[in-house]
Amino acid sequence: MAKWGMVIDLETCTGCQACTTACAMENSRLPGENWQDVLFYSEGDYPHLNVSWLPRPCMQCENPSCVSVCPTKATFVDEGTGVVLVDWNKCIGCKYCMVACPYGVRFYMDEAPVVEPDVKAAFPGEGRRQVWNPPFRMPDEYADPSKGIGVQPKGVVSKCTFCHHKITQAPEGVADLDEDDPETREFTPACVRVCAPKARFFGDLDNPESNVNRLIAEKGGVRLKEETGNRPKVYYLSGGGSPVVPGQRSKRRS
Amino acid sequence: MASITDFSGGHSGRETQWMLHFLISLTIVVVAGGYAVWQIMTLGHAAFNTTNAGIFWGLPIVLYDYFLLTSTGLVMVAAIYHVLGVEAFRPVAKRCLGLALAGLMGGVAVLFLELSNPLMALWATPLNMQTQSPLFWKILLVGAYTVLLAIVLFNSIKQPTVRPNPLVWPLALLALAITLVAGSVYGMMAMRPMWFGGEIPVVFLIESLVGALAFTMVFSHLAHGFRHDRMSDELRWLFEGPLARLFGALIALHFLLHAGRAVTGWWSNAEGLQVWDHMLSGPLFYIGLGVCTLVPLVLMLLPATRSNGLAQVTSGLLVMIGLFIARYEFIIGGQQVPLFKGSWVQTQLIEYTPSMTEWALLGLGIGIANMVYGFAAWKLGGEDEA
Ligand code: SF4
Ligand code: SF4
Repeated sequence: MAKWGMVIDLETCTGCQACTTACAMENSRLPGENWQDVLFYSEGDYPHLNVSWLPRPCMQCENPSCVSVCPTKATFVDEGTGVVLVDWNKCIGCKYCMVACPYGVRFYMDEAPVVEPDVKAAFPGEGRRQVWNPPFRMPDEYADPSKGIGVQPKGVVSKCTFCHHKITQAPEGVADLDEDDPETREFTPACVRVCAPKARFFGDLDNPESNVNRLIAEKGGVRLKEETGNRPKVYYLSGGGSPVVPGQRSKRRS
Repeated sequence: MASITDFSGGHSGRETQWMLHFLISLTIVVVAGGYAVWQIMTLGHAAFNTTNAGIFWGLPIVLYDYFLLTSTGLVMVAAIYHVLGVEAFRPVAKRCLGLALAGLMGGVAVLFLELSNPLMALWATPLNMQTQSPLFWKILLVGAYTVLLAIVLFNSIKQPTVRPNPLVWPLALLALAITLVAGSVYGMMAMRPMWFGGEIPVVFLIESLVGALAFTMVFSHLAHGFRHDRMSDELRWLFEGPLARLFGALIALHFLLHAGRAVTGWWSNAEGLQVWDHMLSGPLFYIGLGVCTLVPLVLMLLPATRSNGLAQVTSGLLVMIGLFIARYEFIIGGQQVPLFKGSWVQTQLIEYTPSMTEWALLGLGIGIANMVYGFAAWKLGGEDEA
């Protein structure tokens, strides 16, 4: 059984948002409500300006607070992959998981959109539960509401699935899913596959031979917000420089 | 002859009063509830100002917790007579239980309109046994509490004279457990320093009790046409003596806990606590803690005002408003510091103002609570005669 994890190299990432776009296309996401996003931070005023960015998927925590707080077990850890998923058939829309996720990576679709224009209105859904009907909608054979895969319906919470519908098709026992390897390309998560500067790596954290383990060990992989005890399975390589993310309070006042 | 304005204890005068109470509340329910339901039916959750930017729990959750904790507090006040056997509290025991059910109904109605799949919660929660979740316990406990409270009230309606009811024992324990668990829902959130802390369940318990006494004061006076002198001797003695003193002591505790958290939060440099700076720079905090807490505290400390009906009603109303402000600032403030939400959340703190629909839910909750209470008093004898 694999324990899938991701490594993101911040020294290589250019902040191009290709990962964000690929994730939206792959997973029928509403623009703006991105399971995968690149967050930009700026401090100071021109010319004394510091701009930094952070690619941020769901951290797929090993000890996920979103799972602990969910009163109906709608949010659960998938046994075969270690991926945290949402069963849309059991979610009551209480949003406790959204409150409890330290990384802000969960989404509820039926509210006012966070970015304009409202694309939902341009592609209205059909029936009682469909919020919208995206033109780039995922093929029906991949959709699985019991795992939170497909077009997100009304009244439930969604989150990144590590492209569960792809990674579960990978050959048994493989150490890494790499877009450069023809054997595993198809099963590599969309955000990893499209990363042009190759800042993202995906593999089995339980396999000592995996490239992700080698990178974490050799380049000093760190996890965000260790103090919460969530134990993310997404590691960042920062080249040993400044903290990965500036705290709101530690920013220079402009 | 009894008339609409005759609240002197004449039977038909009281009946007319409660009938009016019921009808006015019904009107509020129809107007506010109608507007809210219409908005939710047409716009869905876009009718609320909660968004994925970071404020996930808005005014409806504030309202639900406010009503729920008032309800549990009222049961605990009723338990002072039913469980602890303090005879002085007998004149308000029935009223407290009636108000507890009324408040609970108002809160649950608001919650059901906020949740997207509330009915699913009824089966999906007990069947999946996520015992780690405070919300799992809260849903189960509130379910049991509602059923038991209804049974206790049904029994009391059949009995014209108030006698200690052993069922209030488990009911009071449920009320206590719900109050503490409701605090844990926030207090366990280590990722939100504004909420995190073992003292939060205790803060909720104190707020629940002080709120319950405020409601008892206001509604007991309402039952007597806001005429202190028309109360029975035993009720007046309770209000001028033990109840007013207890009320004062609990307001003082509430003030200390609230001010203490504000000062430590404001002083701290920890990431996530900067929301205290924000709250302390606005007027709402001072209205809540100063006008709505300190003023009633002074009124309940001074012997002359402590036993004065007008001062008691004023204190009760101020405390009710102050607790609402405190709950609002606590729940919203805990979500204002953005986590890693998205590139569009660039502000230091996320802003939130309730929408018209959310305010209408406040009207709906108040309306339903008063409707239930007015109907019980009018038709079911759910009011203390004292
Ligand atoms: S990052 Fe948030 S949503 Fe993802 S597993 Fe961790 S707690 Fe859950
Ligand atoms: S919103 Fe859904 S997934 Fe999240 S805690 Fe509530 S029931 Fe669970």
